[in-house]
Amino acid sequence: MSSPPDAEVIGRSLDEPEAFGLIYDRHAATLLRFLGRRVGAGGAEGLVGELFRIAFEQRKTFDLSRTSALPWLYGIGSNLLLKHRRGEARRLRASARMAAAGEASDKRASAKALDARLLFQRVAGAIEALPDGEREALLLFAWEDLSYQSMAEALELPIGTVRSRLNRARAHLRELLEPKGERRVKPR
Amino acid sequence: MKPVDLVRKLRREPAFKPAALDRGKAVLMAAVRQEVQPMRRPTIVPRVPYEDVGAALSFLERAFGFREVLAARGVRADGGIDHTMVEFGDGMIGLGAQGAHGAFSPKRAGTATQYIVVHVDDIDAHHQRAVASGAEIVSRLHDHLRDYRVYEALDLEGHRWRFLQWLQAVPPTERR
Repeated sequence: MSSPPDAEVIGRSLDEPEAFGLIYDRHAATLLRFLGRRVGAGGAEGLVGELFRIAFEQRKTFDLSRTSALPWLYGIGSNLLLKHRRGEARRLRASARMAAAGEASDKRASAKALDARLLFQRVAGAIEALPDGEREALLLFAWEDLSYQSMAEALELPIGTVRSRLNRARAHLRELLEPKGERRVKPR
Repeated sequence: MKPVDLVRKLRREPAFKPAALDRGKAVLMAAVRQEVQPMRRPTIVPRVPYEDVGAALSFLERAFGFREVLAARGVRADGGIDHTMVEFGDGMIGLGAQGAHGAFSPKRAGTATQYIVVHVDDIDAHHQRAVASGAEIVSRLHDHLRDYRVYEALDLEGHRWRFLQWLQAVPPTERR
């Protein structure tokens, strides 16, 4: 039995709103993990309903020529996360400490452990310091493994712009991670 | 190591509870219901003040069988309920935080200044449910002449509710 593509379900939900429940059943688990990586489990459980409520209310704007709704949902999630920067920063710093602890137990060298701690703190700080658009592109790419095409749909940008934004994010990160450079990224 | 690989090292999987997706589905379906059947707007909506709106809501649902109009819920920054609406039959009332709009709960004011009459279909079952849920019965269940069967109860903050069922098949409007 084949199930109808997302576009068909969303198209149908314009007349039969209940049909949108199927979009939740298909994609909520993926979006919950996405939100959870960013703001932690508790925050994500509260946000996932909000994300789908917004999607439901904006479903007329979904481009029905796209088969999967997933990139569109990621985009709504990304916008939602902009209001939760503090929670994100907190989780990122905790992740940096845990990543450093992981490295330290691998190597068992205290000098290395100290290095790892500084390095990951710096990575966390650099991610936080990126302009919103670059941070979002970077994390969709590095943590969610989205394709360029999906990222373009999520961020509502041409593919070329997504590529250049990712390159800018990489360049900024490199700059921010250089020990000698204390330069900060200028806000947009 | 390349910058993107370093960023990947900070990717950490959250640990979810088994029912993590349930709350979100309820939020979505409330929005769906709201669109399918928009909230009724009766001409007169009494607003009943409470010290603890959340506790009042669960009591009114449990003891009296009222149903929350989910779309009407307003939440404070700390997650508590600031105000909401409940429906019963074709009636609707608002529950709001006391102090707002100059209205206070009897719990704080020391006295009630009004009571609310609710018509029910099965007064005995309703009474039983209220008693089982810990409502304080202030006027025992009894027949008033041969017209209606009635009881009165206080909710957990001292608001007084009068529940009655007409005993004869005469529309209440013609009786008044």
